[in-house]
Amino acid sequence: MSSSEDSNIGSLRKALAGAGPQGAPDPWEAAIRKVAQHQDRAEFKKLFDHYAPMIKSFLCKGISSYADRSLAEEMTQEVMLKVWNKADSFNPTKASVNTWIFTIARNTRIDFIRRNGRAGRTIDIEDIWHEADSPEPVVELQQRRVETMIRNAMATLPEEQALVLEKAFMENKSHNDIAEELALPLGTVKSRIRLALSKLQILIDR
Amino acid sequence: MISYHPDSRYLTDFATANLPLAEAVCVSAHLEFCGKCRAHVQQLTDVGGHMLARLQPEAVSEDSFAALMARVSAGAQEQFPVTVAAQVPQEDVEEAAQSHVFLPRAVRRLVSGSLDKLRWVQLGKALRVAPLQVSDESRETAIYDIRAGGRMPEHEHRGEEITVLLQGSFSDADGSYSCGDFVVRHAGEAHQPTATMDKDCICLVCLERPVRPRGLFYRLLEPLVNYRLQRMNRSVA
Ligand SMILES: [Zn+2]
Repeated sequence: MSSSEDSNIGSLRKALAGAGPQGAPDPWEAAIRKVAQHQDRAEFKKLFDHYAPMIKSFLCKGISSYADRSLAEEMTQEVMLKVWNKADSFNPTKASVNTWIFTIARNTRIDFIRRNGRAGRTIDIEDIWHEADSPEPVVELQQRRVETMIRNAMATLPEEQALVLEKAFMENKSHNDIAEELALPLGTVKSRIRLALSKLQILIDR
Repeated sequence: MISYHPDSRYLTDFATANLPLAEAVCVSAHLEFCGKCRAHVQQLTDVGGHMLARLQPEAVSEDSFAALMARVSAGAQEQFPVTVAAQVPQEDVEEAAQSHVFLPRAVRRLVSGSLDKLRWVQLGKALRVAPLQVSDESRETAIYDIRAGGRMPEHEHRGEEITVLLQGSFSDADGSYSCGDFVVRHAGEAHQPTATMDKDCICLVCLERPVRPRGLFYRLLEPLVNYRLQRMNRSVA
């Protein structure tokens, strides 16, 4: 067990070391910092102009069954309000701005679905999807340097692999949902996603 | 040492928030014990961030920013405020932090801070079970407490079963499992877990709700748990 684990992590490090320089610093980090420290509305406007249309696009995909533009619009505002309110909790060593905003949009979406679906619940979304203050440190997989590599590798994915990733990450679909929609066995969906992830150097044991 | 982890399906469906809540609670609990899976979830979330940033933008209405800033100026909190968490008194959370069983955050919320306050149902000498209410999805969630050295009745799963060990360890014919392990049993697999001698074994268990009870274990567990739950609900109402 542990030896295969070590070699996975080792090969990941090697692959990442070869992925080249980290590239230019993320300009949006500074914008978030200014919002957090000075409630800088001009910077927030730039963030809004850049991210709100992407967030809306994401939300339109994710909730296609209720798709109505005003709803997506309202939820987009909700996500951006959280960006404003939580700016001081953004930690650039833990996540890129894109990733951080994705998690806020994802949580807002699931929160909305849960509130409007039949499923009642007794727990907050943020109690499940949280940045754990865990006694167990995150194993350093150098995931923050993955950005350039993700971009390059994503461009080379075969269409069938890119498709399942798109459905899982952007269209709010579980493995089971994808299997049903594409009329594929669950195992095929799982292996396509695993193959795609391994090309992105995300090497999960099973 | 953790040896059993969620597979790529669980981790991906968790990172994209596409798991049934009860299963997401189990993955979330495991992540607090396992830095490696947490790193994988971070990597997967980065994929989400990357894909989000490359979506074809969808224009927002022109007055959207002004409307948002008006809400900011009015001191708006999010429309969906944290509500459930507020129901757990702070002292309960502190009490849980002091208790000797480490409870992951999601579990801490579900048990309102402490295992002692749960409604335990004793099932024989070795096992007690406290049902948890996660949502009305087709999953049963519960905390199992197997007494040190105790043996559960042999049972077969009608649906998928996830067990996350929160304290202690147990073993069955297939292996031995310790704190933090994420163990999946599929429908039709039978086993008879035995807790190790030194400590009570406390587990978070999520069961796909069986279509209809069959086999000794469900005949033991299901009617009893349901009965007790109904009675509790009535006494609350
Ligand atoms: Zn793990």
